[in-house]
Amino acid sequence: MNVDALVEYITSTPLTWLLLTLGAFKFGIIVYEKSNKQVLLQPIIVSYLIIMSVILFTGTTYEEYFKGVEIIHFFLGPATVALALPLYNNLKYIKSLFVPIMITLVVAGVFSILIAVGLLWILGAELPTILSMTTKSITAPIAIITSEQIGAIPSLAVGFVIITGIIGALLGTTLFKMLKIKHDTSKGFALGLISHGIGTARAIEISEKAAAFSALAMGLGGIITAVFLPLIIQFIF
Amino acid sequence: MLKGIITLLSFQFLGECISTLFSLLVPGPVIGMVLLLIFLIIRKSSFPSLDHAVANHLRYLPLLFIPAAMGIITQADIISKEFWAILVSLVIGTIIALMFSAKLMDYLTIKQEEKR
Repeated sequence: MNVDALVEYITSTPLTWLLLTLGAFKFGIIVYEKSNKQVLLQPIIVSYLIIMSVILFTGTTYEEYFKGVEIIHFFLGPATVALALPLYNNLKYIKSLFVPIMITLVVAGVFSILIAVGLLWILGAELPTILSMTTKSITAPIAIITSEQIGAIPSLAVGFVIITGIIGALLGTTLFKMLKIKHDTSKGFALGLISHGIGTARAIEISEKAAAFSALAMGLGGIITAVFLPLIIQFIF
Repeated sequence: MLKGIITLLSFQFLGECISTLFSLLVPGPVIGMVLLLIFLIIRKSSFPSLDHAVANHLRYLPLLFIPAAMGIITQADIISKEFWAILVSLVIGTIIALMFSAKLMDYLTIKQEEKR
């Protein structure tokens, strides 16, 4: 038996990292479903912690890991394009509330970036962190490619995106009750606009209308952020 | 499903080409997404093969951003140095933004109902 050759194979083939990542994610899905879809036990969180432990424990560099799973990363492109379909399917709802939707989209979208960036700035964070915070409310695939475009740190940006999603999913319903929000459409739209996909998953539990408006807000918010944010940042710097 | 996958990749390709050709700051896949949306609006419906390909891509969406997200292990410096600023911005910022969005949308919706 050639153990050295085996170790050499396992540590050098991209299959190791690919299998670990897919396996950990599948495990994450099982845990999530077994826990009755606990927000804090999102598949991404469980699998993330497993993979991170293995990487740190084996002293693997990020570059080595990334090379192994680059094929997964590639699919962010077509997945972003794919977001057009749920947006299309919910587009019919725009007409009924066109003015409220457009005003909320722009005003609340800008406000949400300004408040997060403002807080970071007051607390003395540095520029790369501040830039990475600007995409926190849009869906992760668009956040990753947009943050690359504006000179932010994509990994930090995804981290902020996921945490923003979870906070919204955890606190949304309580906040809406506190504020006596009347319409499910408002609840859904706010969840999708601020907490993207994770918020939309939560909105599905409120009602079908809320889910539709959440998907709508997530799609529209992603597009206008990706289109205008790079322009505005280029204008400022 | 192949036709659906080809559709997605073609729109991404087209988006990347447009973004490169005109040196646009908008990411190629986002342009592809907008073009596909316009295509669907003109066509007035989707088709089963595309529905299928989209469902498969979005079903495991979180898996797709693990490679990028794992880069956080190279950012331990920033995170430990700016931990509190980041935490406050994320928690307080998200709560305020969520309340503001819901209230604004609700206010405008009620306003519109009154007008009718």
